[in-house]
Amino acid sequence: MAEVATLVRPQRWDAPFGPEMTDGDVEMLLARPEFGDIDRDRFPASTPLDGILRNDTRLVRTQPGDIVLRSGDYGNSAFLILDGDLRVVLAPDLPSRLLGRQQTRKKGFFEALAQLWTNRWVPEVRNVANYTNRGLRAAEKLEDSRVFLQDIPVVLDKHRTAKISAGTLFGELAALGRVPRTASVFSESDALLLEIRWQGLRELRKYAPAWRAQIDESYRDNALNAHLRSTPLFADVDFAVVQDIAKEVLFETYGSFDWHVTYKKERQRGAEQSSGTVICQEGDYPDGVLLIRAGFARVSTRYGSGQRNLTYLGAGDVFGLDELYEGFKSGETKPLQTSLTALGYVDLLRVPAPVLEQHVFPSMKPPKVRLADLAGRLAADDGLFEWAVDERFVNATMAMLIDMDRCVRCDDCVRACASTHGGNPRFIRHGQTFDHWMVANACMHCADPVCMIGCPTGAIHRDTGTGTVVVNDDTCIGCGTCANSCPYENIRLVEINDQSGRPLVDPDHGRPIFKATKCDLCVGNPGGPACVRACPHDALRRVDFRYADPFAEASA
Amino acid sequence: MRVLSRAGALLLLLAAAAFAALWIAARQVWLELGDPALLTGYCLLAVMLLLALFTARKRLSMVPLGRASVWLTLHVVGGLLAVALYWLHVGAFWPTGGYEIVLALLFYLVVVSGAVGFVIQRVCPTRLTRSGEEVIYERIPAELSRLRDRAEAVILACAEKSGSDTLARHYDEVLHWYFQKPRFFFGNVFGSLQSKHWLENQSRALARYLNASERDFQRELYELAEAKSEMDSQYALQSLMKWWLFCHVPPSAALLVFAVWHLIVVNLYAI
Repeated sequence: MAEVATLVRPQRWDAPFGPEMTDGDVEMLLARPEFGDIDRDRFPASTPLDGILRNDTRLVRTQPGDIVLRSGDYGNSAFLILDGDLRVVLAPDLPSRLLGRQQTRKKGFFEALAQLWTNRWVPEVRNVANYTNRGLRAAEKLEDSRVFLQDIPVVLDKHRTAKISAGTLFGELAALGRVPRTASVFSESDALLLEIRWQGLRELRKYAPAWRAQIDESYRDNALNAHLRSTPLFADVDFAVVQDIAKEVLFETYGSFDWHVTYKKERQRGAEQSSGTVICQEGDYPDGVLLIRAGFARVSTRYGSGQRNLTYLGAGDVFGLDELYEGFKSGETKPLQTSLTALGYVDLLRVPAPVLEQHVFPSMKPPKVRLADLAGRLAADDGLFEWAVDERFVNATMAMLIDMDRCVRCDDCVRACASTHGGNPRFIRHGQTFDHWMVANACMHCADPVCMIGCPTGAIHRDTGTGTVVVNDDTCIGCGTCANSCPYENIRLVEINDQSGRPLVDPDHGRPIFKATKCDLCVGNPGGPACVRACPHDALRRVDFRYADPFAEASA
Repeated sequence: MRVLSRAGALLLLLAAAAFAALWIAARQVWLELGDPALLTGYCLLAVMLLLALFTARKRLSMVPLGRASVWLTLHVVGGLLAVALYWLHVGAFWPTGGYEIVLALLFYLVVVSGAVGFVIQRVCPTRLTRSGEEVIYERIPAELSRLRDRAEAVILACAEKSGSDTLARHYDEVLHWYFQKPRFFFGNVFGSLQSKHWLENQSRALARYLNASERDFQRELYELAEAKSEMDSQYALQSLMKWWLFCHVPPSAALLVFAVWHLIVVNLYAI
């Protein structure tokens, strides 16, 4: 028999959220009413309450002005105020400058043209003056650095805010639902916060009824009504009825929140990606309509001995409506014609069938396109789409897809990119290939931007005007959190140089200063992405894979 | 294979119409006992300058000057128009006069290199895509070096294990040459199986001198040689796609200089 090596099986809490949490800290937390009142016997032996507090939480100390959350950011943790006061900015939101975000300004024609002679031969040149007075509070660990407000009275004067004090939980909806934060929160005084990562929050919601009630109520009050009203299915339903429907809605989550970590590891190993968690099977009888709130799910149908992907659903899409509506009209129960599987992670709302039959179906028009009708396409034409789903490129809103049968490898796209970014290309013309298609290593501006989770300064963010994911070079601290999170390896850390071409190093250790760089779709340049315009053979497009043949128009 | 897009066909029609109009105008000048060469010459120079703007467009990617693909279509159609205008201007396939012959040589060199480039750009990408996992051109030397190192490691391992130097001598006499740098360039360009046949023949000729344990190493060695053959093919095709421009752009620049000088001389002495 072949020899084997042994390894203690990895456990969930091998890597605690806050390694510096002590027994004393846990005891202090358990003495507080938020945790002391919880019935500990409800928790399974494998995930006891004190274990959750020890491993899934960490203590965060903030100073006056420290920004704890920024609206629009993605995050995987919630905060419980243990001591001190914080302020939630209600309206207007803090300006991008104060949040440490990039001020996007479109260049004029001649300013853009000037890059012809202002671009440098030395790579990654930066004006060091941009990094002074940037409102960054340094910390011992790079990832604990914070952006802070330098003049709190002015902020309080210009913005309507609400004070939140000890005992308040905030940020939980974004953490559990993988949706952007809806408001910015900053510290008004010295404060002690308990940051709870989503895994711990999920367990607390599951086993502590008071926590569950608080989180669900908060969601129903703050987000669900608005979400339902923005869904086309309920567009014609009265406000009061929507509120009634909201009371009946069930919350469900499938797949892994940290899918990108597994995905990246599997990809580096060259292994096949997992097919995902099945939510509904073809042939099952639906008991309600599923509304996708966040994440992705694939719609498939049986084909031979496998599953054929028909499409994928993202935030705002609906599953199971066709069958329920047909059943309502015909008076017979119709089984599901397709299956639904979580792609990585998906957050769902289940609206029970009786609610729909009472409030929605009587006045609803039949759906124009049925999901099952997508099976009418030839399976042979679906290769690219199936591959994109398997490789999770469906997350992209702007994947760089290159038709290698047209591409003459002239690198005009790379040069064009460099010409608009100070002489530095922001993508690599290399990547995963399928048949004659290549998805190059360029930021795909994902619908679920996992790169934005955990950025300590909010330097990586969505541009409010265009939705493009951009990195603010001025507040990027080069910690690499975004680059490590990106499942597609499309963010690169570069060593920077000053304007005379000297490498910039930190004075304490002499180590190089890094900055995260990535494609920004030429957000500040006139005319859109230069790479697309520069391709003489129309070989390069920025695509959303939901549109099956991105080159159909060009080849027509 | 894409030859002409719908927009290209439309542009071609427009170019044909423009040429017909110019031909009628030139004939009218001739009927009025004028010299149509002046009219056709200026038009030809204008078209040539328009063609040269495509290179400028490539340098100015940072400003919105329209899609490069549209410019390329214009460039191709403009090139065809330039050929027709040249013949209308010269009135023959080949001019008389030393300077004009140099101009004609440059003109035909640019036209032929452009036409060859057009074909290369439509044939090579597909062949390259079908040649397995592609390596970026600049990384091919490193990949070749890696294959060579692996081959030499196989030779050393074979000598160590079998105690025989047959495979090492074969490598030294035959395969060392092959692994040194890209080989069979033209065979790869034209898609022949020259490289594969050569490897098969060398392998077959060697096999009779090897024992069973050496043959395992030989198999491993020739697998690496086949991988190198793939790399050579990629190198040849990518080189062709990159370097044909050197037969097109510098002669184009020279042609423009000669054409402008021709214009100056004509305006100074012939009118």
